[in-house]
Amino acid sequence: MINMIDTKNVMDTKKAKEILEKIINKNGSIHLNACVKCGLCGKSCHMYLSEPCVENLPMVKAQKVMALFRRYHTVLGKIMPSMVGAKSFSEDYLEELKSSVFDRCTGCGRCAINCSIGIDIASIIRIGRLILNSLGKTPQEIIKTTENQLRDGNQMSVSAAEVIDTANWLTEDLQLETKNSEFKIPVDKKGAKILYLINPREIKFFPLSLSATAAIFETSKESWTIASKFFDVTNYAFFSADNESAAKITKQVLEEAQRLEVKEIILSECGHGFRSFRWESANWIQREIKFSIRSILELILEYIEEGKIKVDKNKNSSRVTLHDPCNLVRFGGIISIQRKILSHVVSDFVEMSPNREQNFCCGGGGGMLAISENAKRRIESGKIKAEQIRATGAKVVATPCHNCADQLLELNKNYSLGVEILSISELVYNALTHLPS
Amino acid sequence: MKVNEKSIDFDKDGFMLDPNLWDEVIASAIAKEEGIGDMTAEHWKVVNFIRNYWKENNIAPAVRLVCQESGLGVRQIYKLFTSGPARGACRIAGLPKPDGCV
Repeated sequence: MINMIDTKNVMDTKKAKEILEKIINKNGSIHLNACVKCGLCGKSCHMYLSEPCVENLPMVKAQKVMALFRRYHTVLGKIMPSMVGAKSFSEDYLEELKSSVFDRCTGCGRCAINCSIGIDIASIIRIGRLILNSLGKTPQEIIKTTENQLRDGNQMSVSAAEVIDTANWLTEDLQLETKNSEFKIPVDKKGAKILYLINPREIKFFPLSLSATAAIFETSKESWTIASKFFDVTNYAFFSADNESAAKITKQVLEEAQRLEVKEIILSECGHGFRSFRWESANWIQREIKFSIRSILELILEYIEEGKIKVDKNKNSSRVTLHDPCNLVRFGGIISIQRKILSHVVSDFVEMSPNREQNFCCGGGGGMLAISENAKRRIESGKIKAEQIRATGAKVVATPCHNCADQLLELNKNYSLGVEILSISELVYNALTHLPS
Repeated sequence: MKVNEKSIDFDKDGFMLDPNLWDEVIASAIAKEEGIGDMTAEHWKVVNFIRNYWKENNIAPAVRLVCQESGLGVRQIYKLFTSGPARGACRIAGLPKPDGCV
């Protein structure tokens, strides 16, 4: 019976089975029967809290992956799969898996740190994405955006000419605004100390964060440049766990850094971009990375503490709260730096609750923002974040992630929050003392 | 959405599924949804430029071009289209949803 519905004849599942064996055998099999069904993962998940159904329980999502492991790598699963909840690769089951790991999960990891017995639920769910990728079942929007990066060097297919034109255009504005004709946004400057990677969104739609960072770099007399071709801080292959493409995308940026002979790579405010470049990239390319890789936040704090930029917190007098991007904070470990920066540049700062590594996902992470089919659920699952924001009474929500910023803009509109969404760099720029107000 | 007896389909993000069906009546209807009561001359300048650019290049223009063509500053664009150039202006101009972090 099982062989009749097993689609291995039409679907090449060899790679997927290997993934199950290699990865789950090592880390996950211990977790296979360990769940005590306490339900804490549900209470920690923004998706479950906004729509409390069984399918949204994180452990149920992880079980979808484990059911495949049971089918192919346990004795009982091989001989009597239905008795042990084992599942075969079939089109229908893969649809179910996709729904669990893409449509009902942003990979935010909050369930994993709240699991009463320490099951790494988020990692198991991520293996589901890895399996779907090996079978060509990644959502189209993520594939298309990854292809943009591989083909054109960035996820939005912005041309090198456009980067140069935009940098020049922003430079003109920057000089007018700062009344400093020396300020520039350098492009492809060989021998600069820093290659600053940006989100293409900063060229294409929202350039004020780039202008702000440029003013910070220039004020501190930094030697820096952006690149016209491989300038992208993001890595969309991260979302599909397509490690081969992720490695290619990483390499094209590292080669650019080498060509430009920079010493350090500084990452713009981007959650998954930070996690990818800082923590995952060496594993993807299977070698040590020679460049120092840091977030722009680390550098800005250094500038403030070393007195390279002077800031006045009274220049940002509206109440500000902070959203913690999951990939930067819970996974990335950048937790106190943004708070220290804000303590220097904002006079009325209020934390939302919970925060730091216990923050709730905005609802737009894990590639969710790109997948139109999930738009309704994405907005509904952002309700917790919206209410967190409302409770602070803040007028400004700062967030060091362009992807979160887009989702927060949507939440602002849908939940009538009446707030402004700003990057940390923009708040620092506003607080620079020697610039005209 | 029904506009002038024509039934128009959108993706779940509210972008037109068939951008070729776009016309100014549809644009005004999407704008209403966006909370823009009446499209002003400035709104139209931006929307028409984006529309024409997309027809020629099959991609949304960078905000630099939108600013330079319309003579508006980037902050003015954000005021006119509170959802931003992509989810606001491009959507009203009938473009498909731009790729990536949008």
